[in-house]
Amino acid sequence: MTNTGMFFRMLFGAVFRRRSRAIMAVVASLVGAATLFCLAAICIAVPQQMNDEMRSYGANLIVTPTGESSESSDSSAGRTGIDAAMVRHTTEMVRAKGSAKYATYRYENVRVNAAPYVMAGVNPKQVENLNHHWNVEGKWPSNGRVLVGRDVADAMGIEVGSGITIGYRASDNAASGSSSSSSSTSTDSSSSTDAQSTQQSDGSTVNGEDAQSQANSQQMQDGRVSSDIMDTKGTEFRVAGIVDTGGSEDSIIYATSADVDKLTGVKRGVDVIEYSASATGDALDATVKSINDMTSMHVKAQQVTKITSSDTRIITMLQTLFWIVSIVVLVLTLVGVSTTISSIVSQRSYEIGLRKALGASSTSIGMEFYVESALYGLIGGLIGTAIGYGLARVLTTVVFERSLPVNWPLAIGSVLFSALVAVLASIPPVSRASRIDPAIVLREE
Amino acid sequence: MLLELDHISKIYGDLHAVDDLNLTVPQGEWLAIVGSSGSGKTTLMNMIGCMDSPSKGSVKLEGRNLEDLNASQLADVRKNMIGLVFQKFYLVPHLTAVENVMVAQYYHSVVDEKQALEALDRVGLKDRAHHLPGQLSGGEQQRVCIARALINDPKLILADEPTGNLDEKNEKIVLDLFRQLHDQGTTIIVVTHDALVASCAEREIMLNHGVLIGEKWNDEAARARYEAAGGKPAFTGSTEEGAQREGDLPIGFADPTKAAKTGGEAE
Repeated sequence: MTNTGMFFRMLFGAVFRRRSRAIMAVVASLVGAATLFCLAAICIAVPQQMNDEMRSYGANLIVTPTGESSESSDSSAGRTGIDAAMVRHTTEMVRAKGSAKYATYRYENVRVNAAPYVMAGVNPKQVENLNHHWNVEGKWPSNGRVLVGRDVADAMGIEVGSGITIGYRASDNAASGSSSSSSSTSTDSSSSTDAQSTQQSDGSTVNGEDAQSQANSQQMQDGRVSSDIMDTKGTEFRVAGIVDTGGSEDSIIYATSADVDKLTGVKRGVDVIEYSASATGDALDATVKSINDMTSMHVKAQQVTKITSSDTRIITMLQTLFWIVSIVVLVLTLVGVSTTISSIVSQRSYEIGLRKALGASSTSIGMEFYVESALYGLIGGLIGTAIGYGLARVLTTVVFERSLPVNWPLAIGSVLFSALVAVLASIPPVSRASRIDPAIVLREE
Repeated sequence: MLLELDHISKIYGDLHAVDDLNLTVPQGEWLAIVGSSGSGKTTLMNMIGCMDSPSKGSVKLEGRNLEDLNASQLADVRKNMIGLVFQKFYLVPHLTAVENVMVAQYYHSVVDEKQALEALDRVGLKDRAHHLPGQLSGGEQQRVCIARALINDPKLILADEPTGNLDEKNEKIVLDLFRQLHDQGTTIIVVTHDALVASCAEREIMLNHGVLIGEKWNDEAARARYEAAGGKPAFTGSTEEGAQREGDLPIGFADPTKAAKTGGEAE
């Protein structure tokens, strides 16, 4: 047998033949490892998932055409909006800073039973994917079938499956073309409304002025424009579903882009692109700036600041709380392990004295106890991490209603960290042990 | 001389645990240090065993002055030259008998399980080699302790009340082992207040409150060899009454517990 073999034989004896003490030390490490791993796993996984899910509650970035673009198009061949190529280009720029979902909206003024309403041409899948909070009774729009806002449905007394005749007058849109677009933008969704507020507070004039002119020329009531012009001609659609968000969406009729193209007889670009980007804070600021700096794109990007900042604040608060608790647990673990090792060292003081009497150096005694402590930490860390994962999984499922995949780097780090904490905690008692006077073993006790 | 104590004292405040003692011990001698409890025997043994240092005076082992050595060098002297036997055995409770013997090898040089088993065989415990101390009797534990003390072939064995916790049968086994070691030339210093154990030694010195008060030889041939080698009687610089001072003839003494052990036939 080599001396290394003897070292491990002594270690084996100390750990496995003194089970009660060893179990105490392992349990001290185990409790710390389990709590810390549980907190860390939740601290990392839950905010990530919350961020992802908060993104499904609407956009945090909107892109609209700039005033110059609208004005120029109004003066020439009517509104062109943001064409498909520019939508792709803008999306690429947003996705350069992280993943992003988006939906496009083309707004038109239409008439139903001679009363004016706002109609949005959308890709239903994009809108559904972006706005998980929309409460849709029935189905999303498809060709020939529209999704009607709750306020519109109530005003007209229509239900899912009812027929609805929608008329389009070029004059309605020519008179206040960009205004209706802007108005629609501002009333489209909560995010758009936020964007409008931000815009106004920022002093931006383009859409703000349009909205003002809209207000001057027409009175809004129950989501429709009050008019006394009676004209019931139009295209027959079926009501696929009724959307109820409690917001401005309830005043709009949603149809597929193809149906809107067909109804208006004009194919053009979209009026708004809504993005739900994973980037937040400075990264999102940078995206907005990069888009706005490229004036040749003729688009303007704006953050939906309310959602972005509240999102960040909640996650930061959650993480801060978890880290504070983690630090408290870490300190308690250090104290617990240190106390247990102190107790072990105290119980074995005569053995330490004996070893020194047999010629062991202080370094040798210290090394034996540090390795023993590390072993307790490893065993405790291994079991504690497994228990911590179980706890974290139960917590995330029951409290946060989220799944928790195994984070292997965190698990390995947790086991190694437990060993490190056990060694650090054993420094004071082992340091005292290595100073034990060997003469004590020759004294009567 | 293997061991030379030159006017050593150990002083705790006003208490002189060992008071100005001069003693020389040649290689191969069997010396017993006797005295009642608190007489300074164990303090003296700690100083000889490099586990304590004298307040005054010097200790030389093989001519090497221990006061010049640091803690690490003293540990080297302990593991290379000294084998320790304790009254309370002091075996590591979570290591088997053979592992306890190998611990001494581990700190000395290289672990050799075969050699450790041979040492246990020598003390009659080969068949108990893989038992934990808790599974051994007091006598067996003390024999393991002796096997551990002799595994590194020390020049000096220091035994503190080696039979203090043993019955007569085991006491005899342990004393026989010491005799064997002595016959092989090992120097043995035994601290005891057991008259029977003391009488087995070639030479006895007696301490009382740290002061040397007597010395006697149980083996005249050994005395002759000692004197021929230039050895002188032990003495103390203490002025206490009854102290054996420099130039005095060795003062004989009666072992205090001998009457009880020998049925009143004390000399």
